[in-house]
Amino acid sequence: MGQIIFDRSLYTTDAVEAAAAAYAEYADIALEHSSAAVVAVVGAVRGHDRDTIEHSFCNLVLQETVVRMRRAAPTAAREGEQ
Amino acid sequence: MAIGEQDVQSEVPASRLGVSLGRDHASFDVDETVYPLEAVYGGAYLFVDRCFVFLSRPKPQVVNVRLTSRGPATAAELDALAGEFMNEMLSQAARLRLSQATTRIREYYTAAALRAAASAPSVDDLLAELDAEELGDDPLEISVPWDKKGSEPQ
Repeated sequence: MGQIIFDRSLYTTDAVEAAAAAYAEYADIALEHSSAAVVAVVGAVRGHDRDTIEHSFCNLVLQETVVRMRRAAPTAAREGEQ
Repeated sequence: MAIGEQDVQSEVPASRLGVSLGRDHASFDVDETVYPLEAVYGGAYLFVDRCFVFLSRPKPQVVNVRLTSRGPATAAELDALAGEFMNEMLSQAARLRLSQATTRIREYYTAAALRAAASAPSVDDLLAELDAEELGDDPLEISVPWDKKGSEPQ
């Protein structure tokens, strides 16, 4: 059983949750929330080897985070100028 | 070993760039005061198709980037991958700074272009202007058909 620690200053909670939901078909992923991080506990995996699934899951979390950050960026930039 | 943990035992100190090389991965620290987080994200976003990317924070203002190859890779290939990532990060940082420095001027030009487009005459206005225009003399006899011109006595 693998544990993957997603630091909250680098990954958004929404992104981890979205990726975990997307990977439900391939792995049992439980999320544990703390103030500093979201920990994904990867249980049984299906269809592929554990390494591939865990790494692909991390890639998806990163992609989701970047997309969400970019979507929010124009608003933040406007707020920053005020 | 879980993703994100430091792989100290299998590190191979053969990098030309000073990155830590493992059996199938390269990892290095990025100083956030030099490269903004957006630049790290920009580079990472472009590299997720080529390798597995994982970010962690070993200490404040420092981001550890871990690039894991999708298949077997030599130390030289991993080193090159890390180098390309660093170059991309630098490019992203420069682009970001340039974008921030020119925000005002770009906004000004966009606003000026929109104002100009709003005040430009419409097609109907131009047609109305043509209708209202009085046709003056025709010294070159452009309105006279050529066959009539040719039949006139010299």
